[in-house]
Amino acid sequence: MPDEADFKCLRCGAEFKLHYVKGVIEERTCPRCGSNSVRLLKKKETAGEPGK
Amino acid sequence: MMDVGRHPNIKLLAYSEIESISGYIGNFHVRVRKKARYVDETQCTACGECAKVCPVAVPDEYQLGLSLRKAIYIPFAQAVPSAYLIDMKACLGTNPIACGKCAEKCDKKCINYDMQDEIIEFDAGVVIVATGMDVYDPTELEEYGYTRYENVITSMEFERLISAGGPSDGHFIRPSDKRRPKTVGFIQCVGSRSERRGKPYCSNICCMNTVKDTLLLKDHYPDVEAKVFYIDIRAFGKGFEDLFKRSKEAGVQYIRGIPGEIIEDPVTKNLKVMVEDTTTNRISEHELDMIVLSVGVTPRADMPEVQQLLTLSKTPDGFFMEAHPKLKPVDAPTSGVFFAGCAEAPKDVKDSVTQASAAASRAMTVLSAGKIKLEAITSVINPEICRFCTICAQACPYKAIKVEPKKKSIELIEAMCKGCGTCGAECRFGAIKMRHFTDEQTYAQIDAYLEEDPYNKIIVFACNWCSYAGADTCGGARLQYPPSARLIRTMCSGRVDEDWVLYAFRKGAPIVVVSGCHFVDCHYIDANRWTQKRVEKLWDKLEKLGIRPDRLFLEWISAAEGQRFAKTMIDIERHRQRVTKEEIEYTMKVLSEQK
Ligand SMILES: [Zn+2]
Repeated sequence: MPDEADFKCLRCGAEFKLHYVKGVIEERTCPRCGSNSVRLLKKKETAGEPGK
Repeated sequence: MMDVGRHPNIKLLAYSEIESISGYIGNFHVRVRKKARYVDETQCTACGECAKVCPVAVPDEYQLGLSLRKAIYIPFAQAVPSAYLIDMKACLGTNPIACGKCAEKCDKKCINYDMQDEIIEFDAGVVIVATGMDVYDPTELEEYGYTRYENVITSMEFERLISAGGPSDGHFIRPSDKRRPKTVGFIQCVGSRSERRGKPYCSNICCMNTVKDTLLLKDHYPDVEAKVFYIDIRAFGKGFEDLFKRSKEAGVQYIRGIPGEIIEDPVTKNLKVMVEDTTTNRISEHELDMIVLSVGVTPRADMPEVQQLLTLSKTPDGFFMEAHPKLKPVDAPTSGVFFAGCAEAPKDVKDSVTQASAAASRAMTVLSAGKIKLEAITSVINPEICRFCTICAQACPYKAIKVEPKKKSIELIEAMCKGCGTCGAECRFGAIKMRHFTDEQTYAQIDAYLEEDPYNKIIVFACNWCSYAGADTCGGARLQYPPSARLIRTMCSGRVDEDWVLYAFRKGAPIVVVSGCHFVDCHYIDANRWTQKRVEKLWDKLEKLGIRPDRLFLEWISAAEGQRFAKTMIDIERHRQRVTKEEIEYTMKVLSEQK
C-alpha cells in the first residue's frame, strides 16, 4: 500500500502498519492496546550494508 | 420565506455565494457573489410567459428529475424572490443570441442577457450558519436496485410524487406504468446506522418521516396496502408515539426486519422482498408495486468550503461541531458564529426551528450588548522579542495572530484568541506569554510534584476539556488508578511546551504523559495536531540524547473516558516501575548539560 508506513506503539511495543501521508497529521491508535503513543518507524539507511 | 422576503430588516441575497468572510465577532466583513440571473428580479412579475416559449427542457432539480423545466425557470412555486432566472448552461446561447424567444416575449423587458455577477460587500456582527444537509444517495446499495428498478424510489421522491405541487399533481403513481400502486413498501435506515456503507449514525428524522408518509398515503388512498420494514422505530418526540399508533391503526403493517435484496419482476415491474421478521423469527415474502427507500441525511458536500470560511470544526459524523454539546449547543467554537438546523446535526423541523430561534437569540445578545466580554485567558505577544517567524500565526486555530515579517509587525486580535496557548508553546523565542497557565505556574507545579521522591511520580499534562475531565470522570466513578500520577491542567494540550516536558525529565520525572482530546473533540479546532507534532519531535530528540522515547507518552482521552484514563495510568505505572534510577540520573545530567 503506497499510503502506509510502519509504526511502533511505545506502550505495548506492537509494530503495525497505519495510513500515513507525509506531512498529514492523523490521530493514530495502537490496534493492540489502544494507546496513541504511536511512533513512526523510520527506515534504516541500507546503503552501507554489505551486499546491498 | 415570504415573511423573510418582505421583512424590512432582512436583506435576502438569493442565488448568491459567500466568497470570503474576514474579521471576528462584532467585526466580520463579508464578500458575496450575487450570481447573474439574467432577469431583473425587481421587475419580473413571474407571469411565466417567457418559460412557455422557451424551447429547452432539462430535468427539474426541485422535482428531483421526475419532471422537466425550461432553461428560463423559477426554482419552485414559493421561491423568494418570485422571479425567473436563466440557466445559462441549458440556454441555447446568448452570445450570439441563438434563440432570444424569452426576451421577445417579456412585456416588461426584464431579460438582460448581458447581466454580470455582482460583488456585494458588507459588515456583520455575527454569522449564523444554516447551510442544511444533503440526502444519502442509495445508488451504491446495489441490492436495492435504486436507479435500476423504476419502482424503487427514495423518500424524497415519494414526497414529490404525493405533493399537490409535484410532477404528477399529487397523484401517487408508480414510475414504470403511471398507475396507482396497490402495495407500497418502505425500507428504513437506508444509508444510516451502517458502519459498512452509508453513515454510522441514526439520521434522526427518517422514522417519523415514514410514519408521516404512511399516514399521508392512507389518507389519500385508504385501500393502498403499506408495509414498513424497520430495525426499530424511533418515535421519541412530542406526539410522535401517537402518530406512530395512528399509522398502525390506519392499517399500516410494521415488520421488524430489513430486506436483504429487492428483486424486480421484469414483466410486471413488481418488486419482491424476503424478510426475516425478528419479532416472530419467521421469514416472509412480499410482493410490492413500489418500494420507498427511507434514506438518511448526510453533511452537505460543500461543508469544507464553509468550514474554511469560518474556521469551524466537525464532529466525526461530518456535521459542524458546537462549542459545547450541553452548555453552548448553538455556538460555534469561533466567537460570533452560531448554528441553526442540520448543519450541526440531523434534526427535524421542530428542532431546527428551536435551534434557529436559539441562534437568533444568541446573535441578538451579542448585537444588543454592543460590546463583548472576553475570557481573560489570552496570549500576550512581546513584539520586542518576536523574530516574526510566523509559526504562531500558523499554529493559531482561530487565525487571531496577524504577522507581517517584512514590516516587522505582529498583532494579536484578542477578540479572536481563545487562549489555547498553542502559539506560546510553538514560539521558540519566548515572545508569547499566556495570561493564565503561565510557564512560571507550570514550572512551580512540576517542582512541587518532584520535590520529594521524584522517582515515584508520573507527570501528566492534561487538557482542561477532555483529559482532565476524563480523570474527573474516573474519580467520580470510583475507578482506581495509581497514586503516582500527578496531573497538571492546561487549557489545551497544544499549550504543553517542549520545555515543560524536558524540565520535568530534568527534575527527575521517570515518565511524562501529554494528554488531550481526541482529534475530533479538540475544543480549539485543531490545536492538538500541534501537540502530536511536538511530541513526535520530542521522541526523536530524546532518542538522540540517549533517553528512551518510551518514557514520554501521548494519550487522547475524552471527558467520558474515565475507564480509559484509569487503564492508561495503570499501564503507564508499569512503565514507570521499569525506569531505573541510573536512567533517571543520566537523563537529569544530560538535560542539565543541554540547558
Ligand atoms: Zn500498543
